[in-house]
Amino acid sequence: MMTFKFIHGLVFLALMAGVFASGPSVAAPGDVENGEKIYMKRCVWCHGEEGEGDGPAGDLLVPPPRDFTSGLYKIKTSPFDEDFPNDDDIFRMISDGMPGTDMPAWKDILKNEQDRWDLVAYLKAFAELEEEPGTMVDYGAPVATSVESIAKGQKLFHDGERCSECHGQDGKGDGIKKLKGDNGERTWPRNLTKPWTFRASNDTKDIFTRISTGIPGTQMPSFANPKSKTMLSVEERWHVANYVNSLAKTDKTVRAVNTVVKANRIEGDVPSDPDDPAWDTAELTTFMMVPQIFEKERVFTYTNDTITVSAFYNDKEIAMLLEWDDRTRSIPGDPNIDKIADKVPYEDRVSVQLPVTIPEGTQKPYFINGDTENPVNLLSWRSGTATSPESVSVANATGSENIEERDAANFGLMAKSAYKDGTWRVVMKRPLSTENAQGDLQLVEGRFIPIAFANWDGSNSESGTKHSRTTWYWLLLKPANSAKPYILALIVAGIIFGGLLWWAKAARRNGEV
Amino acid sequence: MKIPRLLQAILVLAGVYGGFVLVFDVILEQVIPSSLLNMYMFFVVAGTYMVFTFNEESTEEIVAPIKALVEDPSKKMMRNVVFLVVPLFFGWFTFQQMKPSFEAPLELRTIHPAPPSAVKVYGKRYNLLTLENPFRKFEKEDPEKFAELVRQGGAVYIKNCQYCHGDKLDGKGPYAQGLNPVPLNFQDIGTIAQLQEAYLFWRITTGGPGLPKEATPWLSAMPVWENFLSEDEVWKVILFLYDYTGYSPRSWEHE
Ligand code: HEC
Ligand code: HEC
Repeated sequence: MMTFKFIHGLVFLALMAGVFASGPSVAAPGDVENGEKIYMKRCVWCHGEEGEGDGPAGDLLVPPPRDFTSGLYKIKTSPFDEDFPNDDDIFRMISDGMPGTDMPAWKDILKNEQDRWDLVAYLKAFAELEEEPGTMVDYGAPVATSVESIAKGQKLFHDGERCSECHGQDGKGDGIKKLKGDNGERTWPRNLTKPWTFRASNDTKDIFTRISTGIPGTQMPSFANPKSKTMLSVEERWHVANYVNSLAKTDKTVRAVNTVVKANRIEGDVPSDPDDPAWDTAELTTFMMVPQIFEKERVFTYTNDTITVSAFYNDKEIAMLLEWDDRTRSIPGDPNIDKIADKVPYEDRVSVQLPVTIPEGTQKPYFINGDTENPVNLLSWRSGTATSPESVSVANATGSENIEERDAANFGLMAKSAYKDGTWRVVMKRPLSTENAQGDLQLVEGRFIPIAFANWDGSNSESGTKHSRTTWYWLLLKPANSAKPYILALIVAGIIFGGLLWWAKAARRNGEV
Repeated sequence: MKIPRLLQAILVLAGVYGGFVLVFDVILEQVIPSSLLNMYMFFVVAGTYMVFTFNEESTEEIVAPIKALVEDPSKKMMRNVVFLVVPLFFGWFTFQQMKPSFEAPLELRTIHPAPPSAVKVYGKRYNLLTLENPFRKFEKEDPEKFAELVRQGGAVYIKNCQYCHGDKLDGKGPYAQGLNPVPLNFQDIGTIAQLQEAYLFWRITTGGPGLPKEATPWLSAMPVWENFLSEDEVWKVILFLYDYTGYSPRSWEHE
């Protein structure tokens, strides 16, 4: 009863808050002075004292903080031919932040809505914006998602390379154009299969709005502009939005509970080709990667944020499939890559880190390349250059300064890769046990073995310590199903049933006496 | 109506179990590891058993319905059901225990381990028991200079720390999700508000690798800031942490 009342109270309060809060954009124009006060405490670090996006963090952030003096905002609902956003748009970005960037959502710390409206007023003052446009994109009659609508959208997406020119055939942002933002900074088309990187969101309405307005300050154009050859009607834009929304890769998203790469046992040979159909039945685990900002030399800008891993093993070998989205296939010396890379690229690379011995207690090697007491094995694959094929390497490390290359052929490491439409898929294969039992991890069934991954995007000038990586997770060679648990369960149930019967019988006999 | 004692006991157990699941899995969104849940439930069952069989009378009250079930011929129907359900339950439980587990091992760690008495960084030895922030005194003596120091500390923070600890200092920076253990949340009353500036100096300068074993130094992604920041920069960023969150460091005088 208590809780019921309590919940009622909450609902009532929330309603009241809604009533009072729903109008400040009209009722209470932002107080620029209060906005400035908050700005100087919370926003100045990135957006700078004069709002030019040149705070101390300035050039370390990709994308760079917005320069408010231009008055251009990426996420707006005003029609494409209005330069400036509506106040609600600015308010929304301050409240909800921009996923995939350093711009956080402020509503949990600036709980008072009026504070956020005051910030809107202050930001607008940087560009001397006054009246908001007050008009919205024409949404027409929204088209609900359906197989037909998605198919129509897919066609429009690829027609004359309308979107795929930049966003790639599969939407992974691997188009072949080199793009720049208005301030000359390098920008990449969004990977549309990764909804967590959308600055607004991947709701169809949001996607519809972005297609209609474009993204000001970047090369993402408006498709509502009748002057454009690639213009789309309102209905067509809904179809495209439904298609883009359907691209989200739900089987390859990071879930905090998934910390184990589960290798399934198979009969016969383990698949050694990335295109082997056996991989369709593997269990996928996706990990988040972060740029190496822990040791010298650090890297702050990175391009690959997740890696998906699956594995199979048999009596002798384990094969691991590593998949990650990479907009560029970095093959140094290949003219195609020189066209899109900023600098002369390095090779793309991925590496798997394993401790040399399975830890008995909780202590593991340091998560970056181990430490003096606890060495690691590093198994790497490199994409090759125009003159040399892809290659593998094995190293033992006791810290980032102590990485000792070894003979990969002797170790028995093999790899095979495939690159298609913005995704690398690399199979690495190694024997479960090696001759050098002191220096190499010997893989055994049923044990939780620490494992970590590192990834280099060569076109992003990543090499050596400049890369992205995961922390320690687990590898488990899943034991094949056995009948033991079933048999034991039957025995226990049988014994208890027998015991009960015996008790009842004994009781009845007593009763008769 | 009086609830039979046996039912009471069962309700208590079910309530506690449901409570654990509700608090951890639903409210805290942190699925409770089954090994931990089993351990808790063991103590709860033992406790309940003791309370409900406290004296002869209450034992009698608990046992009576069970006895009646077995001995009273009029309860035959009920008896058949119970005799089927109980063995099935234990069989199922055994199966759950015996089937191979693919749940990652539980790793417990101390978040704020006891500091050493001294720390060696920047080629010097610092006594953590007496170490103080050399800039703290300006808070009273020269507020303008203090504000400038805080500003410089903020610049250090935004260039180096916000990626993980977040620009709101809430431990939710853009890379926080990729780290385990997760970065500390300085807005939480349980972190810097409970610590002395000397402790922060130790934690910042020696980073994850400088932790004692009980705090799993091999897992912590906290960099060794001695390698990146000067001593002054570390003290300034500490000023910023307290200024931004509005907390005060703990000091010897108040204890
Ligand atoms: C840690 C750095 C950082 C801080 C602190 C920060 N921002 Fe941002 N902000 C950014 C970045 C980076 C972008 C650009 C993201 C992009 O272009 O995709 C941005 C963009 C914006 C935008 C533009 C949205 C759009 O549609 O283009 C607004 C508005 C904004 N910030 C407001 C604020 C306010 C108000 C504060 C303080 C309460 C603040 N920011 C604090 C980094 C920051
Ligand atoms: C000329 C290149 C180009 C073309 C053509 C293009 N885009 Fe984009 N698109 C971009 C860029 C660049 C970005 C990222 C902008 C940024 O830095 O925030 C982007 C971002 C997006 C986003 C992300 C919105 C968000 O909330 O983050 C969506 C959705 C999108 N594009 C859809 C489309 C669709 C659908 C089409 C075709 C109708 C299309 N784009 C055509 C370059 C392009």
